[in-house]
This record gives sequence, C-alpha cells and structure tokens, in this order.
Amino acid sequence: MAIKKVLIANRGEIAVRIQRSCRDLGIETVAVYSDADRNALHVRYANEAYPLGGNTPAESYLRSDLILQIAKQSGADAIHPGFGFLAENGQFADAVTAAGLQFIGPSAAAMATMGDKLASRAAMIAASVPVVPGSDAVADAAEARQQADKMGYPVMLKASAGGGGKGIRVVRAADEVESAFATASGEALSAFGDGRMYVEKFITEPRHVEIQVLADRHGNVVHFGERECSIQRRHQKLIEEAPSPAIDAPMREAMGKAAVDAAKAVNYESAGTVEFLWSQGEFYFLEMNTRIQVEHGITEEVYSVDLIAQMIKVASGEKVDHLAGRHPRGHAIEVRLNAEDPENNFMPSLGVVDNLRWPGGPGVRIDSGVYSLMEVTPYYDSMLAKLIAYGSDRNEARRRMLRMLQELHVGGVKTSAGIALNVLQSDEFVSGNYDTGFLERYMEEGRHHTIGTEAPDDLEEIAAIVAAMHRQRAGKRRTISSSNSVTNSWVSAARREQHSRVD
Amino acid sequence: MKYFLESSSGRTFEIEIIELGGEAMSVTIDGREISADFIDVDCRGQYAAVLDWHSFAASIEESDEQHLVVNIAGESFMMTAYDERERAAQAVAGQGPAKAEVIKASMPGLIISISSSVGDSLAAGQAVAVLEAMKMQNEVCCQNDGVVVEVLVAEGDNVEANQPLVRLAPPDSE
Repeated sequence: MAIKKVLIANRGEIAVRIQRSCRDLGIETVAVYSDADRNALHVRYANEAYPLGGNTPAESYLRSDLILQIAKQSGADAIHPGFGFLAENGQFADAVTAAGLQFIGPSAAAMATMGDKLASRAAMIAASVPVVPGSDAVADAAEARQQADKMGYPVMLKASAGGGGKGIRVVRAADEVESAFATASGEALSAFGDGRMYVEKFITEPRHVEIQVLADRHGNVVHFGERECSIQRRHQKLIEEAPSPAIDAPMREAMGKAAVDAAKAVNYESAGTVEFLWSQGEFYFLEMNTRIQVEHGITEEVYSVDLIAQMIKVASGEKVDHLAGRHPRGHAIEVRLNAEDPENNFMPSLGVVDNLRWPGGPGVRIDSGVYSLMEVTPYYDSMLAKLIAYGSDRNEARRRMLRMLQELHVGGVKTSAGIALNVLQSDEFVSGNYDTGFLERYMEEGRHHTIGTEAPDDLEEIAAIVAAMHRQRAGKRRTISSSNSVTNSWVSAARREQHSRVD
Repeated sequence: MKYFLESSSGRTFEIEIIELGGEAMSVTIDGREISADFIDVDCRGQYAAVLDWHSFAASIEESDEQHLVVNIAGESFMMTAYDERERAAQAVAGQGPAKAEVIKASMPGLIISISSSVGDSLAAGQAVAVLEAMKMQNEVCCQNDGVVVEVLVAEGDNVEANQPLVRLAPPDSE
C-alpha cells in the first residue's frame, strides 16, 4: 500500500527531518503541536497542522488518543513517531495498526522483547549474539570463583537485587573473590534484604559502538555499519562518528552479522539500532533501540542512504534486499547542539535564541529545529540541532567540524558547541583512541577550559579588547540615544534585561 | 577611557581607548599600542574587529554593563569589565556589608525537594532545593552565606522563572 500522507507525532528537528524525506518522496505531511510550539519550524514546514494544546509532553505529544484521532480526521495513512515521546510505546503502535493506519516502526512485540533487559538477553543468547558473559545466581564464594575462573578476570560480583552501586565489587584476581563476595553479599543483604549474588564479566575501557539495521516485512535485514558513540557523559552523547576508528572491515562484518541476527530474532521491521560494548577486539550486545536514532545522519552520509525514506518505504511493503552489502565511503562526524551550560553541570539553558549564524560550504549538513528568536522552553529536550560534517577521510571530517563550530554562532542561550570544539582538538579524539569514560575524565581534569590549538591568536586577549571596545561604544550609544530618543533593539534588549533584574 | 578586564580564567588586562574623532581611535593593551578598527555590524552585539590587521567576527552578550560574554571563533570568554571610575568607586567601597539574598528559580519547573528550613545556616554555594525542568533535576544554590528566614514554596509546587524560593538574612544579623 503506497503511503500518501504521514502524520508526524513529534516536534523539533526530528519532525522537520522526517518532513524533508516525505517531501523528497512526494508525500504530504501532517504536523501536531503544543501551545508552546505554535511557531515551531515543524508546524510551518508541514502541509497540515493540528493543535494538541498544552505545553508539557503529557499535555501534548504523549496524547496518543488525540493524535490518532487527528490522523484519521486528516486522512493520513501512516504515523511516524520519530524518537522519544511515543516512539517505543507498543500500545500506541498497536492502536495505530488497529485503526487501519501504518505505524512507521517495528511491531509492539519486537519493542516489548527488546525493551526488557532479561527478555532481550535471553533472545540474544538463543540467537547466538554475544552478550556480556554473566552467571545465574551463585550459591557461595566458591561457586562465584568457579564462574569467574571460567569467564576470565576482571569480573564484577553483583547483587541480584542490586542498585545504586550497592552490592557491587570489581574483582581483578582469583584470590580476591572470597573477601569481595563476603562484603558485597553482606552489603546487599543489609541494603535489600537479599544477599544473592551473580558474576558478570567486567568490560575494561569499553567503547559504545552501535550498528544500524533496516528490516522489511519479508524477512530481509540489512546493516549499514557502525556508529562510534563513546564521547558521552552520563549516557548523554555529545559527539558521534562513522565509521568508528576502532573498527576494521572484518570486525564491521562480524558486528553487522550479529546485529542482523539480533533483528531477525525478534522479527524486526523498520530501522533500528543494535548497541554493543566493544573492548579489545570483543563485542557484547547491550540493547536494541527500536526506533530511528538521533545520530542516524552520520550513517546516511557515509552510506548514501536516506534512512527515514527507507522506513517509509518499508512501511509501504517495499523490500530492502537491494541495499545489502554496502560499504562506508568517507567519514562523518556529528555534534549535538544542545541548549545547556557545560560550565554549570550541563544544566539546561533557557532563553530566546538570537544572532543565529549557521556554518555552510562543502561537507556541511545541519538538521535543525531552531530559528532566530525561538524561545527555548523547559518543556522538552534541550537539543536544538545536529551539526554533521562529511569528509573523504576522518581528518577532513574533523577539520570540517572544527571550521563549522568556528563559523557557528548561537546567541541568547548557552550551548554544547564550545566543549565539542575543544574535545575535537584533544589528543584522544585526534588519535581516535578514546572510550566511554573519556569525556567525564576530560572534564574532571578541567581540560575543557583550555583553548584549543586551532585558534591562531591569543583569543582571550582579543576578547578583552572587544569587551572594552563594546563598553566604550555602548557608553557612547547610551548617551546618544538618551539625548535624541533613538533606541535600537540591542539597547532596549539590554534595558529590558536590566529592568527584569531590578524586579 | 581606561578599562580593567578580568577573564573567568583569572587573566587581567588593562586597556585604554582614546577616541580620535569619527571611527578612529587609539587602543593600548597593557602598555602596547595596537591598530584597531571596530565596526558594530547590526546593533545586536555583533562586531567586525580588525586588530593589528587580524580580523575577527565577535559576538557579545551582556548580562549587565560590566558582565559580558564574548564569543569569537567558537570560543566563549566570560569577562568582567570596569572603567576607571567604577574601579575607583570599588576601591573606596572596599568589601561591602554582607547582603541579604533572595534565592530564585533560574527557570520554570517543579520543586522536587526543599533541603532547608527556617533558621538553617547556609554556606555560599549550598543547595537549598531541587528543581526539575527539561526532564532534568537541578540543584538550586545560594550565592552568599546566610540564615534562612523564609521558605516561600513547598515540594510539588510549580514555579515560574525568577520566582523567589527562599529568603536569607546575612549570617551575623540573626
């Protein structure tokens, strides 16, 4: 069944991204929006737009009944959920299907299996996809040691009822098992009333490497290689790249095959991502994200594929087998542009976006939902845009991203751009030798405060001169504007700011 | 006019600007004279600066006259800028008396918890509440030492940006 009109149950940059693919395919789009998003780009870019009311997600983008009603009312024949909100809500997927519409994504059953840690682990073991080696509950220290000897050290002793870091010990050698077991088990008993323990392989300095898969409803699954996502902090990714500097062609094929097996094990349909921990040439299944992901764009660049368009085609019943066996070409790097303050524990930075200046030129892709004078509200995710640099090799892509971040300017809110510019110049990033602990260590050591070597001048001194000049000019302008009542937006904005501070 | 600048890194600069009529001016930084051509591009804080023939696109955001953020080539610098009159006034005032403080919500959100009650002595930087906004929980902290004299919100309250949460008196005025 050909899809002619798609309702996009999302907002921000991903809604605009989906609309773009729809336009490329000649498909009409239906937007839904909260009160706060009346002026948003995804509303303006759509063919039709319907209000959901409210501001918080619960009042707006999570109202599945209302969204389904709008879909029927508008004559849409499919719903794309984007990511977040309803994207991994099996009940919603079922409701869409029951209403006779196409849900552009996997089945509720696939979501349910992959959304459950134990169920997905069992399914992966059955499909011979490597998982982090772990035992069932062990009876005592002797059995724990037996299991640990089998896996190889280091291992983790973990409380079955564990959480919050209690009842966990890293054990680096066999003779440490007994005492570690006693203390961890005791800790778990007093904290959770349950001292049962199990043994898990400890993965040293892991990298987060994920494989993009695409599956049709005829049993074909293809993969589009890996994305390297180890530059993250508290599971919030900052920079991603494809391909990964750690993965060579044979490893890509091995991981790709495992990811395809994982998707097949749950009869997957649509685009999905299989996340692995990679360490010292071994990889282990972590989880599968049953949706399109934020960082899908870098895969699109190096595989010359439009994944959103492919999701829509798959939902119309098309096959994916002609896309098998592709190889990456060139290199792509993504930086997430979030409205947040790295100097203040990455707290969300609210305000009105001003003086917006985007980079341009060769190899530059910007997936954005932001516009000048847009208000960043507290209701939704803080991601404003994704910057993607493409180059014929890794260093060209890296240098291009440096240039993009130097050209970029976002006023009115603080963003993650500065720290990304800094990280891209670190020795670890340049060499490609980093793991998931890198960004936290980097910040703890205060290295993000140093100015990168890219800057040709003493920029701090230049900034001081500019600040002094600005004060000189602002003083002059204030005198002039008060004498002849001429105001301009900059001065009045500054005055508003001053007034609001007096309140 | 002479300006005294301090960067958040701790570096200080002394900069003298003498207007020579029209757009022309003489700029001296820490005793070294440089050529400076400085154009306000859009009256919204964007400047085109050519300093000793090095060209820069700079953007400035001011939270008040003295506190500026300067952005150049992707890098951000927090600068405090005093002119010579302000600097002299500061020297006279010395360390001002301890100030009463009203701790406000930095953004709209939901009060998850309040960790202080009337009579508590707080040290500067201590958390008084946890505010949830944008799906994240953020600590709200006081800027000065003080004693809590009033708690104006309760757990579970929705608050607006800049809404007062807690009032502090100076530590010695209890």
